[in-house]
Amino acid sequence: MIKVTDEKRFKAFATVILTILTIITLLPIILIVIGSFTDESSLISNGYSYIPKEWSLDAYYYLINQGKLIFRAYGITILVTVAGTVTSVLFTTMLAYPMSRKSFKYRNILSFFVFFTMLFNGGIVSSYMMWTNIFSIKNTIWALILPNYLVTAFNVFLVRNFYENNIPEAIIESAQIDGATELRIFWKMIVPLSVPTVATISLFTALLYWNDWLNGLYYITKSELFGIQNLLIKIMNNVQFLKSGSSNFLGVGNVELPGTSVRMAMAVIGILPIIIVYPFIQKYFIKGVVVGAVKG
Amino acid sequence: MKNFKKLFIVVFSVLMVVGLVACGKSDSGKQKEGDASSADKKSYDKVVYAYATFNNIPSSDVLDTVAEEINKITREKINVEVELLPIAIFDYSSSVSLTLQGGGQIDLFQSLGDFNTSVSSDMAYDLTDLIDTYATEAKEVLGQDFLDACVKDGSLYGIPTYKPYALTPMVIYKQEIADELNIDMSQVKNIFDLTDVLRKVKEAYPDMTPLVPVQTGTSGVNMTIPEVDYLTDDYYSPKGILKGNDMTVVDYYGTSEFADISNLARTWYNEGLILQDAATTTSTATELMAAANSFCYVASYSYPPADTAASISAQVGGIPLGAVQIGEAYLDTTSINALSWMVSSTSKVPEAALKFLNLTFTDPDIINLIIYGIKDRDYVISEDGYVSYPEGQDASSVPYTAQLSCGTLGNFFLMHPMEGTSKESLIWEEEQNQLAKKSPAMGFTFDSSGVKTEYTAVSNVIQQYLPGLLCGSVDPEVMIPEFQNKLSEAGLDTIIEAKQSQLDEWLKNK
Amino acid sequence: MKKGKNNKNNRGLTKNGPLLLIALPGILYLFINNYIPMFGVFLAFKDYSYVKGIFGSDWNGFNNFKYLFRQDAFTIIRNTLLYNLTFIILGTICAILVAILMCELGERFRVKIFQSSLLLPNLLSWVVIGFVGYAFLNADTGFINNTLIRLFGGEKVAWYTTPKHWPIILTIVHLWKNVGYSSIIYMASISGIDKSIFEAAKIDGAKKLEQIRHITIPMLKPTVVILTLMSIGRIFYSDFGLFYQVPMNSGALYSVTQTIDTYVYNGLMELQDIGMSAAAALYQSVVGFVLVVTANAVVRKVDSDNALF
Repeated sequence: MIKVTDEKRFKAFATVILTILTIITLLPIILIVIGSFTDESSLISNGYSYIPKEWSLDAYYYLINQGKLIFRAYGITILVTVAGTVTSVLFTTMLAYPMSRKSFKYRNILSFFVFFTMLFNGGIVSSYMMWTNIFSIKNTIWALILPNYLVTAFNVFLVRNFYENNIPEAIIESAQIDGATELRIFWKMIVPLSVPTVATISLFTALLYWNDWLNGLYYITKSELFGIQNLLIKIMNNVQFLKSGSSNFLGVGNVELPGTSVRMAMAVIGILPIIIVYPFIQKYFIKGVVVGAVKG
Repeated sequence: MKNFKKLFIVVFSVLMVVGLVACGKSDSGKQKEGDASSADKKSYDKVVYAYATFNNIPSSDVLDTVAEEINKITREKINVEVELLPIAIFDYSSSVSLTLQGGGQIDLFQSLGDFNTSVSSDMAYDLTDLIDTYATEAKEVLGQDFLDACVKDGSLYGIPTYKPYALTPMVIYKQEIADELNIDMSQVKNIFDLTDVLRKVKEAYPDMTPLVPVQTGTSGVNMTIPEVDYLTDDYYSPKGILKGNDMTVVDYYGTSEFADISNLARTWYNEGLILQDAATTTSTATELMAAANSFCYVASYSYPPADTAASISAQVGGIPLGAVQIGEAYLDTTSINALSWMVSSTSKVPEAALKFLNLTFTDPDIINLIIYGIKDRDYVISEDGYVSYPEGQDASSVPYTAQLSCGTLGNFFLMHPMEGTSKESLIWEEEQNQLAKKSPAMGFTFDSSGVKTEYTAVSNVIQQYLPGLLCGSVDPEVMIPEFQNKLSEAGLDTIIEAKQSQLDEWLKNK
Repeated sequence: MKKGKNNKNNRGLTKNGPLLLIALPGILYLFINNYIPMFGVFLAFKDYSYVKGIFGSDWNGFNNFKYLFRQDAFTIIRNTLLYNLTFIILGTICAILVAILMCELGERFRVKIFQSSLLLPNLLSWVVIGFVGYAFLNADTGFINNTLIRLFGGEKVAWYTTPKHWPIILTIVHLWKNVGYSSIIYMASISGIDKSIFEAAKIDGAKKLEQIRHITIPMLKPTVVILTLMSIGRIFYSDFGLFYQVPMNSGALYSVTQTIDTYVYNGLMELQDIGMSAAAALYQSVVGFVLVVTANAVVRKVDSDNALF
């Protein structure tokens, strides 16, 4: 009975701490959401406030006006994110697994090979030259998937670390003794055990792709291929320029644009899909993995 | 777990297929383009025209329709076919730079205040020998004086955009408040006169911050120092300047004028006359003016004051505004060549490119196609020649518009005026180009490649101190000496020496 | 499981060939994406000319590096290093704490909400975070000056021109954005721990806190080591968005907010010199490399299993 109380107490403690942290974390974000619904002039005169003087949907109307563009951009980003994440997870686990095997002859060489890429980087120009001239990906969807994010050293090490510490050498040995090939061991045994780490790097990679705007910036000039981040940034910069009162824009006619609130609305739109999808994939992080196969 | 793996594989394969199909489509798209044009393309040079746009980027097929209209003209006139490449203003420089470095084709591009660096890194094609053969008309439009702004070491590297160059510093203020408090704004002849006005407004409205910054980091005071030639530096990061007719390069921050305006800004700050966070605010001048607790701001415009006020009034939601001039326009080399058009050094068709560039300065059909798109689809034109959007549409809904790039492309004065502007003002502006005072160093550009290290260090120091001084948030008595020390450490003197010797050399050869 | 590098204990059953094949797609990709473009490193030593291209441009020796070693260089290096060290230490501690707390609650609705919420800040771009910061800190209408200080009394603070508060502000913002994200890594590791160990401990009468101290935390050690080593490799880099956007690039704060990346950016804005930016990148890489190889060697001596390589 003592144990039960002890656990309960700890759980209560954990809940309290986490609740406080969550509230503190969310406060600024709530401000952003409210900001997106605040009337522009009220924002400027009175600053941001949790209870704005005036509410307004102007920011969203403005963005919806760009309507067609936004849907297409969402589509592109979703496609790129899913394709990129799936491929990345595959390549990354396939690279990390052999590296995690202590008896693998090339283990250390590979580790160095992978790690070196984290530190040294030829720069954007040479990458650009290579991808554009040798692989001709400019202005194609591949430009949003292939460069930079498909395999990252960080993810490789995360997965390797997971395998090293959560998959006992013993079960691999027993499979080897049973005559299984390395490939079979990988597919039938390792992959099913990889759930938590696959979930982790899927999330990280998906976020990388979802938030990326650099690939779009460098490789895409055709508007049909813009992802959501690139599109939003372009819209925002246009608004910013228009409002700068610069002498270039005199005589432009009255353009009543919500500036700051549009930025907030854009932030909301940018993260909305993730907030919606995330709860469904969460369970993979939290569920414990019962390694039933090892019995002493 | 088995289900998970199966799902994994299915999703993966579907996506690969979709990806390939999408890729295929764009490929076959290219294929068609290639076929159709290869038939007649044999005799035409292809020129890629990269321009900065502040509007939405149109889809490729729309771009093609506009390009086709342009090509109908250019095929006949100059045997050239044009590909339009609009790039969002924010990405423009890096995009062009990257494409050129990677070997992609861009034949015509513009400088955005970085003419000097484009030339010293060999981005621009030497036009000296070509200009008289292929772009004489453009040369005439600009006149030798303005064209000289793009000459460096005796060679011509670009053609400046022909637009209103003369920017006059003005105070833009809310008319109603001025009337209410019986302030006669025409008595404000210079920036120092403004203080009393601001005080009066503050007295009447204690919660208001009368003066708002025109842009982050400056209250506008720096624009009112007369007759400053910035000698190729950015206006917000001056390093060594000329004052009036004195051909000695001086340290901007050591001048008495600078001390005066810093003290002025400080007074304003201490009395609550200027926005406290002017040095870091994210709101723009028009936004701040549209709000209730502001009175005026200082900025430079090319329009006559009355028109400027009317125009901005429209942008802030109709609040009546007035404008009064507090200084005079002064042209230095950078005023002219900040927006220049250049042929890329890697271009394979420089003559053809120059021919097309020439047309953007002289052919109204071409320039209007680029700016406004196709008549009746993207814009309508009234009887007296003013442009507006078709019924029910605006800049974001028409298929193609680059209207906001009007001040950056070719010949501004050939473009159809927009509804709401006035033709008379346009004529006035063109006149001002000729009438405005010009710096004696017009045509001189400083080559900073010998002092790059000092440049970066000094830029950093300026970034650190200047906004605070211009907005009054720091005490000039203490800060200016500190600032000058740091500048000296960073190598400002080296830069000034270099400028002086280059300037002397240039004067000798003039 | 203390075994040497080339463990011969599994009686030579490991087939290196097939393992190498499995790793092949990853290797190929890294080779293409990361190794081939490394020739770009030369740019740091060249005076780049568009006409001559990367290969044809003139060599410049170390000229492009000079600007990185001037007087003010010490401030920026100090800032970069101190911040990174603080971030590594505090970040790790907070992430582990949060991970443990979440795992203890098990799979419940509440935890899902906690985790999603803590992850949210990571999804925001720095520009937006800069705005929010401005909403809180701006001198005239900011939330803190306007509301909180009025409520609790005290003087208004001109945040954007007062350097001394910023190390704390920036650290808090960094943690806010990253703890949710990094805690996920630790959660995955904890999930992978064999539950039977905990069962055994419980049967032996261990309390929750003891279980955490003696099982969970030691089992997290490899993960901590790996993450820390990787962070050390990046110790000369800074998160540009954090140091540029959040302080709104306010000059008055430079003494505490300027890092190598913002210094390079500000300095090269006007010049746009390609060689010089490449030089800065190379400089950061080399320093990080030296540090991490050293750190890795130390780890290898102490606890060879956990070394990176």
